[in-house]
Amino acid sequence: MTTRRLAAPGNAVFVALLGVLAVLPSFTSDYFINFVMTRTLMLGLAAATIVFLSTYGGMISLAQLLLFGVAGFMFGNAALESGARGLNLGWPAWVAILFALAVVTAVALLLGALASRTTGIYFLMLTLVYGVIGFFFFAQVVPVSGPGGVTSIAPPALLGAEVRLYYAGLVLSALVYVGFRAVGTTPFGLALQGIRDDPVRMASLGFNVPLHRMLAFSLAGFVAGIAGLLNVWWNGQIDPASISIGPTLILLIIAVIGGISHFEGAWLGAFVYVAANNYLRALPFVDRIGITEARFNSVIGVLVLLIMVLSPEGLVGIVARVRGWRGRRPTLERPIEPAPSAPVRDAGVGAADQDHASTATFGRSVALDETMEGTDP
Amino acid sequence: MTSGAKKSRWLRVASLLAVLALLATACGGEDAAEPAGDESAGDESSADESTEDASAEDTAAEDEPSEDTAAGGDNVVRLGILGECEGPFGGFHEDTVGGVTLALANGAGATSNSPTSALDGWSGATVAGTSIELVGIGCGDDTPDTILGEVRRLVEQLDANIVIGPLSGDEGIAVAEYAAANPDVTFLSGIAGSQEPTLQVQAENYFRFHADGAQWNAGMGDILHNQEGWDTVAVIADDYSFGHTSAAGFIADFCGVGGEVVTRVFPPLGTTDYSSFVQQLPNPDEVDGYFWVVGGTGTQAALEAFVNAKGDLTGDQHAGNLFFNPGLASALGPSIAGAYVGGFATLPGDVQTPEIEEYLASADETWESLAGGITAGEPGDPSMAAGFGFFYGYYSAGVALVQALEAVEGDVSDPAALQAALGEQVLDLPYGEISLDENRSGIVDVGLSQLVLNDAGEVVSETVAIVPGVDQTFGGTFSDETPAPSRDFPECVEADLPWVGNAIPVEGGVPQE
Repeated sequence: MTTRRLAAPGNAVFVALLGVLAVLPSFTSDYFINFVMTRTLMLGLAAATIVFLSTYGGMISLAQLLLFGVAGFMFGNAALESGARGLNLGWPAWVAILFALAVVTAVALLLGALASRTTGIYFLMLTLVYGVIGFFFFAQVVPVSGPGGVTSIAPPALLGAEVRLYYAGLVLSALVYVGFRAVGTTPFGLALQGIRDDPVRMASLGFNVPLHRMLAFSLAGFVAGIAGLLNVWWNGQIDPASISIGPTLILLIIAVIGGISHFEGAWLGAFVYVAANNYLRALPFVDRIGITEARFNSVIGVLVLLIMVLSPEGLVGIVARVRGWRGRRPTLERPIEPAPSAPVRDAGVGAADQDHASTATFGRSVALDETMEGTDP
Repeated sequence: MTSGAKKSRWLRVASLLAVLALLATACGGEDAAEPAGDESAGDESSADESTEDASAEDTAAEDEPSEDTAAGGDNVVRLGILGECEGPFGGFHEDTVGGVTLALANGAGATSNSPTSALDGWSGATVAGTSIELVGIGCGDDTPDTILGEVRRLVEQLDANIVIGPLSGDEGIAVAEYAAANPDVTFLSGIAGSQEPTLQVQAENYFRFHADGAQWNAGMGDILHNQEGWDTVAVIADDYSFGHTSAAGFIADFCGVGGEVVTRVFPPLGTTDYSSFVQQLPNPDEVDGYFWVVGGTGTQAALEAFVNAKGDLTGDQHAGNLFFNPGLASALGPSIAGAYVGGFATLPGDVQTPEIEEYLASADETWESLAGGITAGEPGDPSMAAGFGFFYGYYSAGVALVQALEAVEGDVSDPAALQAALGEQVLDLPYGEISLDENRSGIVDVGLSQLVLNDAGEVVSETVAIVPGVDQTFGGTFSDETPAPSRDFPECVEADLPWVGNAIPVEGGVPQE
């Protein structure tokens, strides 16, 4: 990477943002850091895997929360020495971490292999089935969980203080953000985006389409597992309800709120979701118009509806729209930019059949096609 | 990369930075600067503006606690309540806050801020010069994750120093674990009936002034085996901690006196189609009876599935825990009469004592109506809600708090002293005395009832026996060294139960001893 690229405004802002977040604990309350921001970073990490699969692979996955949960269950079973539930293997924390990540990656590899030959709505439904099966697996298989889940899970000693979990989440989020963007510029990432846009064409060029999808799903599963470890350390317990259909959809909603074609959107969506859950009901007079804590899901539903209608690219996408409204540079005419930020694919349409026209992401899609033409397997 | 693309990315990241910074400042500032009593009567329980007195007291409350907090004196009870506004028991949200409000109205001079809802909070609650302020109401949905988020909000954001709740079994375990990690905050269980919070977790700042689900079935074995002649029984129970605990109590009791549990079936909580689970039960001619621990909306659905699969119900072949109620007759017909029902904190309406009448009347004086769970969320007589266990569990916790505050002369600056006082409290409540065992769990009197036909041919509950002094160990069947109740535990074995033969019969609503 050249010095010029390192000094790009986007990178400078990214570093500045990290700096702000690093010193945030000095200026805000413990609750805001240890609850709101730590949860934001964890959910953002998990949601970023949805964005990754969607942006680069054209795969909308509903299995990410399952993988998030698998890591938590595995860590709990491995690390606890005693307790009412679980295997209570009593392994050292770092061994348990490696075990949990190995298991979640293996599970993701297996599930990815099974799902790699499906696209669009079929992939979505298959991953939904994964989530449902996972919920019932942990609810029914008592030795590893049972309906009550695994409780009394403590983080490794290194992460004992709650604020350390925040910093762990921050560092991991930064690494994953940079890493996912970097993957988009690698031969693997470029091939994956080519498969997203035209799998038949890529297969005819000699690329192994299912293998690329499977590996992408595994990488996303590994990262979701990291988020799941943070979550189980933060929450102290995990049970099947943690990975039921409701939270599964919430993770997708978080990605949609922030912008499912922008990695930044994963964390922004998570922040909006967590902040709304915590602070919306504290606003003056909202209870007078019927917005009580019991109506939170309705509020989130309306928010998602508005975003879907007004800005399909989520909150991050609003910036581009505002720029278009201001007329400085119409979105459709902006110069072509190669990956990493690639268009979202409609889950209901097969990737090969998707209409590339008349969206703000059209230009980038074309650019990728052009890029891929020069990439031999 | 073009300059336009760079600007686009820059704008996106900048917008992220701006939004985060603005929201962080706003939210964080709110937390840090929030005075302890700022949410007097709650943000979600803000004072009724039409009530001048309440508004005046709220204003006062907003001013004073900040000084206490700033000085570190902290001699105000900042009470958080963990309610249940969603999930299978979401209809009982009013009951949870109502129970605490009534306890404070009766014992601390509180006035409800609304004549028709407890969720608007109270004003004027004071014990030994210490005011009790409602800082917030948590919204549970029967899942541990949600209740953990809510209790953290109450304690870490709203600065609650005492929490009453939660309502449900799995939630109770999660909150007890949280209590163990936060010893300076005092927790009083609402009506969470799982066994583990006290017997396994044993947080020293978690107090349960009610029974667990197992205790509420104590004495059922004696009645069904020794009196009704049941030798074999099939158990169907919700597959979660309360279902396990409730079934465990019945199994320990029934097997303890010599009965045999031949089948155990555990449908997941929230099941709507019970047909596959009912098919796993033996036929009526293969077993003497069935014991049902299926709650919420599942009770009726499960029994209807039984009728479809096994034939008509006959009340003398069925029994259940607290979820069996006369309302089932509306769908299942009067043949449900004859079924025995376990206890649940209160007693059926046929038992009336001056203390019970006074308690129920005080509820009617506090509110004009309440939309409690017992009236399916529709406005009804407050005494109807007060007579049901969910409301009464929270009421018991509120009474315990008032008594403990009196014991420490209103000084809550030392949490350990308050907790020590709570552990010594014996509550003389309208439905019986409650004391605590060494694990801070209630030792209670359990009222068992039966569904019977009244003179008008309607199915009603009738109290048949009161089992005094039931604790959660069942004479040693359960301890901190035994596994938590589960699908397989306890095993069906005979045991010496301390209350066998000691049940007080009740005839015509009058205990015979």
